[in-house]
Amino acid sequence: MIHDILAWAGYATLVYFILMQLYMIGLGLRSGAVMRRIHHLNRFGRVSEMLSSYTSPPVTIVIPAYNEAAGIVASVRSMSIVGYPRFEIVVINDGSSDETLEELVEAFNLEQVRVPYRADIPTAPVRAIYRGRGTVDITVIDKENGGRADALNAGINAARYPYALCTDADVILDANCLVGAMRRVVEDRERTVAVGGNIRPLNGSRVQLGHLIRAEVPKRLVPRMQVLEYLRTFLATRPAWSQMEALPLISGAFGVWKRSAVVAVGGFTIGHMGEDMDLTMRMHRYHIDNKIPYRIVYEPSAVIWTEVPETLRVLKRQRIRWHRGLMTAVKDFLPMTFNPKYGRLGMITWAAMFLFEFLAPIIEIVGWITIPTALALGALNTTTLFVLLALAFGFGLFNSLVALLLDESYGHFNSKADTARLIVMALIENFGMRQITVAWRIRALIGGKITRAWGNMERKGVANLGVEG
Amino acid sequence: MNAPTIGLIAVVIVFVVDIVLLLGLVVLKAFHRRRTERHELRRAAYVATLSRHLASNEQSDRIDEAAADDDAFIDAVIDLRNVVSGREIETLTGLVDGLGLVKRQEAKLRRRFPLGQRLRAAVSLAEIGDETTAPVLIEHISDREAEIRIQCARGLGRMQNTAGIDAILERLGIEDPWVRVRFADTLIGFGAKATWPLAAYIRVNLGHDENRGVIEAIRVLGTIGDREIGPILSGVLRVASDPEVQLAAIEALGFVGGPMAIPPLDHALRSSDWRLRAKAASALGHIGDPSVNRALAARLKDENWWVRRNSAAALGSLPGGDQVLLATMRSPEQPARDAAAETLADIGTLTAARQRDEAGVATEEDILLLEYVIAGDRILV
Repeated sequence: MIHDILAWAGYATLVYFILMQLYMIGLGLRSGAVMRRIHHLNRFGRVSEMLSSYTSPPVTIVIPAYNEAAGIVASVRSMSIVGYPRFEIVVINDGSSDETLEELVEAFNLEQVRVPYRADIPTAPVRAIYRGRGTVDITVIDKENGGRADALNAGINAARYPYALCTDADVILDANCLVGAMRRVVEDRERTVAVGGNIRPLNGSRVQLGHLIRAEVPKRLVPRMQVLEYLRTFLATRPAWSQMEALPLISGAFGVWKRSAVVAVGGFTIGHMGEDMDLTMRMHRYHIDNKIPYRIVYEPSAVIWTEVPETLRVLKRQRIRWHRGLMTAVKDFLPMTFNPKYGRLGMITWAAMFLFEFLAPIIEIVGWITIPTALALGALNTTTLFVLLALAFGFGLFNSLVALLLDESYGHFNSKADTARLIVMALIENFGMRQITVAWRIRALIGGKITRAWGNMERKGVANLGVEG
Repeated sequence: MNAPTIGLIAVVIVFVVDIVLLLGLVVLKAFHRRRTERHELRRAAYVATLSRHLASNEQSDRIDEAAADDDAFIDAVIDLRNVVSGREIETLTGLVDGLGLVKRQEAKLRRRFPLGQRLRAAVSLAEIGDETTAPVLIEHISDREAEIRIQCARGLGRMQNTAGIDAILERLGIEDPWVRVRFADTLIGFGAKATWPLAAYIRVNLGHDENRGVIEAIRVLGTIGDREIGPILSGVLRVASDPEVQLAAIEALGFVGGPMAIPPLDHALRSSDWRLRAKAASALGHIGDPSVNRALAARLKDENWWVRRNSAAALGSLPGGDQVLLATMRSPEQPARDAAAETLADIGTLTAARQRDEAGVATEEDILLLEYVIAGDRILV
């Protein structure tokens, strides 16, 4: 009896594993085709012509800031010279207890103004609005603390332009990222309600005065593992999702949103641990339910650089938070899962998110328990175990290598040391790092105090980056 | 064949694929930088050789025919093509023709694939093609690949080929939005040459079910800014039933300007559609004629936020408009005061009022404005 149960559990795990790998390989190959095409278009297509085009829609860059006094000025200065014909910057001081507001007032010659504030999305009370008198077109909204989602909503309210780039205070925008993203808007202005960008870890790279001088692979294992993860996510997965017009997530660090569409769905959900995924999915649901033509797309040439956790302790908090966000989203959007009404989103990408992201740690933990038991009871022979482990390793390596090959479009990480570091990481990440990540996701499922806290990211800040240590 | 054997075969296949990918990655990484560096070195060498040819008109350094297929050579020609003038252009064109570069690129463009080579060919022809290339570019303005259509239009624009205007206009209404706006940019580059073909296009196509091409054509006309087109735009504004067309016409009238643009915009300022009122306010601000100050001042009391805001912003840019806005600060209607205060802050009047206040020379209007801005703990509505 126990042998039968273990055998069936083994078969079920195997089928699940094969499905997941086929899905990942399919996405990787499809992304490869998309990326190859994008590579050609970006090489020859002269997207930069948009810089002088009268057709480029103006954009509001929305930056929520909570206790960012150390780096906010450098961040805003860095963003203020992004290549784009017309944009304004809106910083939301989300009830900071440090000198964030004072730093901004001093650096950008801000002046308090009385202007009509359209509270299209309800937010925590706004205390004051400041406008820059210098060369930077900046507005600062000083409001009571309400969290990141609330601050973003205030920024959307204050945005004067029809599109809002929602980002973070501690990122570096590539010079052409806004042009790249807005190209997708211009392609289909009526239907495009959101464009996601390509987020890359900044740790270990050379940064000067808030600008990336040279991208390098971090020497530390924890951020280096995340470089591979980000490449897999943003180069081997999202291009395919986007091409299917079934992108379930626009990452919070870089998302261009159509203001009217965000207002129509009620803005970001306050207190949600995955407010970016939540808003993306609500956008899909709103437009499909109301039969409004739309599209949510991803643009790999819209690159931004962000600091990722340097230590396992901080990474653990981040991953638990992400998985809690996913759990809430899975619960909220359960009726969309495997629902043909929602097309490829419901049947493929969101269904896969449910199966291979939400359920994966559960299935994996079942495997951790059943495989040694089956081995001990003789229900599983060592050859089968070897085959399963070798396949898991081989497929994992395949996905990483595909992502690294796709990254060749960008021409980063070409030194011998960087290449060696990435290849070594692709080989070793399956031994330990992956299992730790699964354990954190299981921890998120269990719940408790740690899973409810947002947690401090302990960042160095854009201004202080450039030196590892 | 039993299950473990199948599994082992799968493992071998996966590992072989992994090893191939790994080797491919190492090779790519190793050659990436060297390839880029070599390309740049060859390009620099070609620029030097071509420059010598242009300077002495002697062909002492013979350029190999194979160069016509080298991306570095094409880049070098494009580099020089953008900086030389007069007889040098003729010499360069002679060199390029002698190598058959343009013909080779035309042949590549005519192929069905690969996309990279076809795009390269389209970009090259757009940059270095001459009048003899125009028919090929016109032929490919309906290419299946959007980016190639864009490059062909760009090339025709660079050559200022008038036949190209009609070819582009023929596709304006049926193109996808990205290509349409790129075509529009090209048409703008034609300048006054494109004015009357665009006007004819609008006359023929206005009122059809699909107005996308007409809207783009109107925007192009506005950006070209030829004042002779004012009556045509007024006519479009009068007869069009599609609000999107009307909005485009209002915006274009604002760019074109001139006394003839004011009456139709003044009329639009009283439209029942708030979008037209708001757009008309902005357009009037753009024209810069202070005779409309009174009409704009009336719109500061409009029921719509955008109309109030645009009217105030327009007044902020017009001569004497700041006085109208300051006078509005005495208005009993708070929405009008809010709109006026926002613009007064934007145009620097608020800063000036503060400075005068600090210097002890504030006027009555300054005090009124400052008191309004700093009144109360919660200053927002």
